[in-house]
Amino acid sequence: MLGILIQQTFNALTIGAIYALIALGYTMVYGVLRMINFAHGEMFMLGAYAAFLALTLFVGDIGGVGALALTLVFAVAVVGVGLVGVGIERLAYRPLRNSNRLAPMLSSLGVSLSLVTGVQIMAGPQPVAFPSFFPATRIGILGGTVTLVQIGILVAAFVLMAALYVLVNRSRAGIIVRAVSENRSTAQLLGINVNLAISLVFFFGPLLGAAGGILYASYYGIMTPTMGAVVGLKAFTAAILGGIGSIPGAMLGAFILAFVEVAGTALLPVLSGGLLGTEYRDVLAFVILILVLLVRPAGILGEPVSEESMVYKREF
Amino acid sequence: MTLVFHNLRKQYGSHVAIDDVSTVFQPGLIHGIIGPNGAGKSTLINMTAGSYLVSGGRISLDDRTLSGLKKYQIANSGVARTYQNIRLFDQMTVLENLEVCFYPTQVGQVWREILWPPFAAKRRINRRDVCMELLSFFGLQHYADAEAGSLPYGRQRMLEIARALVTNPRVLLLDEPAAGLNHHETTELTARLAELKSPDRIMIVVEHDMDLVMSVCDRIVVMHHGKLLFQGTPAEVQASSDVQLAYLGTANDIDDIKTAAKDRRAQLGIRARRRT
Amino acid sequence: MSSVDTSVQMRMRGGRLLSLLILATAVALIIVTPFLPNYYVRVANGLLIYILLGIGLNIVIGYAGLLDLGFVAFYAVGAYTYALLASPQFDLHLPFLLIVVIAAAVGAITGILLGLPVLKMRGDYLAIVTLGFGEIIRIVINNLDWLTGGPKGIARLDKASIAGIELARPTEIYWLLIVVVFAVAIFVWRMEKSILGKAWAAIREDQDAARGIGINTTNAKLAAFATSATIGSIAGVIFAASQRFVSPDSFALQESVLIVLMIVIGGIGNILGIVIGAAILILLPEVLREFAEWRILFLGLLMIVLIIVRPAGIVPRTFGPEKLIRGLFGK
Repeated sequence: MLGILIQQTFNALTIGAIYALIALGYTMVYGVLRMINFAHGEMFMLGAYAAFLALTLFVGDIGGVGALALTLVFAVAVVGVGLVGVGIERLAYRPLRNSNRLAPMLSSLGVSLSLVTGVQIMAGPQPVAFPSFFPATRIGILGGTVTLVQIGILVAAFVLMAALYVLVNRSRAGIIVRAVSENRSTAQLLGINVNLAISLVFFFGPLLGAAGGILYASYYGIMTPTMGAVVGLKAFTAAILGGIGSIPGAMLGAFILAFVEVAGTALLPVLSGGLLGTEYRDVLAFVILILVLLVRPAGILGEPVSEESMVYKREF
Repeated sequence: MTLVFHNLRKQYGSHVAIDDVSTVFQPGLIHGIIGPNGAGKSTLINMTAGSYLVSGGRISLDDRTLSGLKKYQIANSGVARTYQNIRLFDQMTVLENLEVCFYPTQVGQVWREILWPPFAAKRRINRRDVCMELLSFFGLQHYADAEAGSLPYGRQRMLEIARALVTNPRVLLLDEPAAGLNHHETTELTARLAELKSPDRIMIVVEHDMDLVMSVCDRIVVMHHGKLLFQGTPAEVQASSDVQLAYLGTANDIDDIKTAAKDRRAQLGIRARRRT
Repeated sequence: MSSVDTSVQMRMRGGRLLSLLILATAVALIIVTPFLPNYYVRVANGLLIYILLGIGLNIVIGYAGLLDLGFVAFYAVGAYTYALLASPQFDLHLPFLLIVVIAAAVGAITGILLGLPVLKMRGDYLAIVTLGFGEIIRIVINNLDWLTGGPKGIARLDKASIAGIELARPTEIYWLLIVVVFAVAIFVWRMEKSILGKAWAAIREDQDAARGIGINTTNAKLAAFATSATIGSIAGVIFAASQRFVSPDSFALQESVLIVLMIVIGGIGNILGIVIGAAILILLPEVLREFAEWRILFLGLLMIVLIIVRPAGIVPRTFGPEKLIRGLFGK
């Protein structure tokens, strides 16, 4: 029993860490632009494909590759996707910054669709086997089996999140981004380079999303051009659950969602007497999403929308 | 028929924006609300219109309690407002901006209009006539088919007032109607406001332009740091040394002002005596 | 002064010519299509179903300004309502028109049930919740084998028939669709021009100010949502009756996005724009068969470009049906 519990806890932590990496991108973009970036799930997908490309270009065969080479491949891929993110913002979102709220969201839908079909055309629509970045060693902990892959993912994800935390809270770049999130027009009046802040967000958000994609693909050993949609949606749910716009909230929301999902998947068939199987796992996430929005739309760590901003806020 | 604030209170966390304000607004009069920035004037308007929740106390119109109702319900009880920052439906035409105010409260009417063309035609003509008349009153009839957002600023202000008036509200709340208007436009606004006075309408104007307030208002409420400092006729307000100090002086509390005013009165008294 | 008059007159005459040309082409196409080979009629039917879906979704996106990304769920609700009530699945064989009424009701109720909790919330969350809802419906259909047949779908659906006249061949379905599309288009156009349509426009522009003038915004949005769902559901019934087979593949997430795309490209908030958008969406891959997979890429990029350089779409909101009619009579 304890063994299963430990094993499931690690499963949830692994998935949660990946959700968290993606959710951070949603929440940061929402923070500075107040828009839902539907193309963010595609950054996750691009990450996996970029890593695969980098792997075949630079390394060739995965067997016998050292950790250093893999880290390099990882870095090249995520930075590459980060740059793609900056480029997309420049081309598809920046011209719309002063239009209505619907326009950038529609544009991001277009970007999302173009990226999925673009990858489909270039790499084929079929799933591609993805090499594991970590050796397939199993470790027994108190009767439960935990794979090295899981531990590797957890370590990588936490290193990245810690790096982001330091970046946001300790660096000048972080101050700029936080200022713009707080109040864009005031930040502009104070001489802060708003465009720089937005570009930074659109670099680091996709970068983390891409990292999530690589870890996800190497966890499940597979990648498809459409993998971004559902995982992106779940990560967005996590961001709302934690409180959209809040960075710690996104992480918290991701882990809560992952635990609920893992527990739900294990318990649903038992509780419903076999009527609802594990295939309803995805439904669970959306039910949570709707419930959170009903009960506490601001999320766990989000600030409730004040009456003033409601009064002077234009809905699209 | 009166609009009454009963011990009204508004609090943001620990900050008290409106503190125990009680007053009565009479129909047939134009009431001005004045006070320095941050005194809580707009908060009063926003609470009356249902844009802000009331933290304590009660607002009532006749015997009906308004506070606690939803914003659209307050509007449908006959309270109309304009905004400090103009909020028109920019991409709709000037005429449509007024017509949309006739949105019926009963769902049945809406469907009847969609499904029964003759009814729709009749309603449409009625609406158009009322709206055009109002547009002429504000000198906007030539703009009827223009997009509201394309109007010059001054015209937009007028249109917003027209929109508030179109359903013939019993309470008209104007939040800084003269803000951003030039001298000529302000004069025009003053004239219109005076004409809008009607025995069954309560008009409340929040305004910084003292010339406008003093010339058009019958009663004035002076707010200071969320408290009601003084109320009376324009002449009484102008004569009040409390008010002068609130505007000119640096005192933070009403009690400070009152003491300071007493001192000053004493000084003036002495000075006056010396002169005679 | 007189030069201004002539330029106005010339513009009127130009407008009249354009209106005449557009209407004549439309009438000619409608009449000629059923005499073409079956393949073309089938393409036209597909086009008409997408126009119907576009008109439905446009109420929510174009009129009320709410981004609904799960519209295909209502399409699926309609299609499966027909499949369950007119097939050997449960050996039920209800008449076509009765199923249309049932499906419309089921669609409206589903729309209201989803809309009630969601429409009170901030506008930008609606997109994500409806997206999730679309996925829920698809997953449920895929897994509720005893009811929906799972991924295999339901086959051998009844032929549609109205008053003893069978509607099964492409040309018969074509005329059914023409009638339905026109009826729905006129109804929706009347809605747009009514006070409700104006209330939607006000909500789209400034929801809070709309409340301030006494509009119950939740109810107005709910009306938009329910009407849109009803139309989607009716489109689903006709789709199922014409294919005589339903499976979850037809209701993928991407389908919703494609309908949004179609509206945005054609012209948000304009029925004429939807026709153009649907034509581009459906006819493009038929014309460029060998580049079929490039179609969505092209459409996606086109959408981005259009939103930036021509946010109103190909046919702007102001060029609506009333403009065509007015142009024709020179008023």
